Amino acid sequence: MKAGLRIGCNPGWLAWCGIGLVLALLYVPLLPPMLFSVSPDTAVGGWTLRWYSEMWKNPLLAGSVITSIEAALIVAVVTPVLALGAAMAIRELKAPRLILLLMLLPLFVPGVSMGLANAFFFRIIGVSPSLLTIAIVQIMWALPFAVLVVLTAMSTFDPIYIEAAHMSGAGRWRAFRDIELPLIRPGLSGAATFSLILSFNETIRTALVQGPLNTVQTYIWSTYKQIGLSPTLYALMTLLILLTLLLVGMIVVRGHILDRRR
Amino acid sequence: MGGSSRRLQKWARQSFLLLPVVFMTVFLLLPLGFMVVVSFWKRAMLRMVPDFVLTNYADFLSGPRMAVLGRSFAVAIEATAIGLLIAYPIAYYLARTAKPSRTRIVLLLFTVPFLINYIIRAFAWTFLLGRTGPINTALMNLGLTDGPVDWLLYSDFAVLVGMISSYMPFMIFPLWISIAGIDRRLAEASWMLGAAPWTTFWRVILPLSMPGVFAAIIFSFVGCFGESAVPTILGGVGYQLIGNEITSTMDVLNYPLAAAISSVVTAAMLVLLAIWYVAFDLRAFLGKILAWRMA
Repeated sequence: MKAGLRIGCNPGWLAWCGIGLVLALLYVPLLPPMLFSVSPDTAVGGWTLRWYSEMWKNPLLAGSVITSIEAALIVAVVTPVLALGAAMAIRELKAPRLILLLMLLPLFVPGVSMGLANAFFFRIIGVSPSLLTIAIVQIMWALPFAVLVVLTAMSTFDPIYIEAAHMSGAGRWRAFRDIELPLIRPGLSGAATFSLILSFNETIRTALVQGPLNTVQTYIWSTYKQIGLSPTLYALMTLLILLTLLLVGMIVVRGHILDRRR
Repeated sequence: MGGSSRRLQKWARQSFLLLPVVFMTVFLLLPLGFMVVVSFWKRAMLRMVPDFVLTNYADFLSGPRMAVLGRSFAVAIEATAIGLLIAYPIAYYLARTAKPSRTRIVLLLFTVPFLINYIIRAFAWTFLLGRTGPINTALMNLGLTDGPVDWLLYSDFAVLVGMISSYMPFMIFPLWISIAGIDRRLAEASWMLGAAPWTTFWRVILPLSMPGVFAAIIFSFVGCFGESAVPTILGGVGYQLIGNEITSTMDVLNYPLAAAISSVVTAAMLVLLAIWYVAFDLRAFLGKILAWRMA
């Protein structure tokens, strides 16, 4: 019965080969920066950690690391809160489709257009570029993903729990705090980690509203545009790749533990 | 509990729910509106002067910039078509044949590279596709070519590789969501009524997965159409698409023109999005996530 429903006669291994090939094309580009970051020269051969120690001597870069961390922390705290509000608004207010579309809109606006529009806007209303403008643009970029994560978390529990809480005499706030919040907490922390990752990896939008500041990503981008790539930049990219992989690993392990507990 | 404190609580809750809407309106809709306004301004002595002139659009729609627009369209359509041809079979297999436990792992594997800045990945492609890169070395060692293949890098090909690999997860996810949401009984019914597997796919699965297909097309097309970093890195010197045309216009401080080009790109996006919104129900797309709210 089930076999009859499958389309065509392509055996499973062929499909997995195709999927493996596409995945390889996505993962292979992560290797060259790692290789170049430990090469003594741009040619591959031998290895050194020189570039990793040398990059800290650049004060511009040290500043950009601090800006990146500050921005990422703000984004990781604010975005899940906004996402929770948005998800509850989609659940309770009128016109849920419209609210959802508004929340997903940043996904559809090209990065340059979004950054440019914000740069004009901040200039016209007289807000000078700062950590705040960087954070706002990055929150906007992370919010659609965070909303989807929180919505997914909300959809996995039965609303009947909340009704039960109401019937037991709990007010809306207590029902939320004692019943709903603990149930969607994994979703919120997932949204926070996701926001952290997206903030660390954002370039184009940030570059247009950062003013005199730099994040690590925009530092890489502007250095590339001015003088080209260097082993130090590859070392930076490697650190960013490893940091992202570490954060993803945290999400996965956490999810695994939660699954086991259930 | 007193009436006033209850009213305060209700008010606090309402403002918490409205905060994200206000945020998006103030920091996204308003700026996009402002950008359209600025696109009608005049440029005078490196500054912007409020005015209502159409010179920016005339500038944009005449001369070499029109060719850039055409090329951006072509590249975005090619990248989207190729991306769809790769992503659909994968999403189909993951949604309907693969074991759920494996599907989760594979979807995660598709997400991870997306989370790493695509600019870093584009840098890597300049090495991989370069004259001394592994692909050319392998081709020469195998005796397939005498010298390095030049069209691999700083070409349409390189830009397509960069774009397709950047937007692949954006295509697989909506496709997977929509295909996985199709009621299996429909395919079973089609099978029991004697339809061949191919007919079932063509007349049942594909039409029902259209919301996902269209979402994937929008993500990929809008992304590729407005992309600025990939053409700069992989297109080589002088390779202009609309995205890096905007940045290079800003480099010469012609902000009203940059706003005009940007407005055209954003308008193209809004038109596609409006078609999607009107033609398809978000319920069909986000399926289970929204089912409990909009039933």
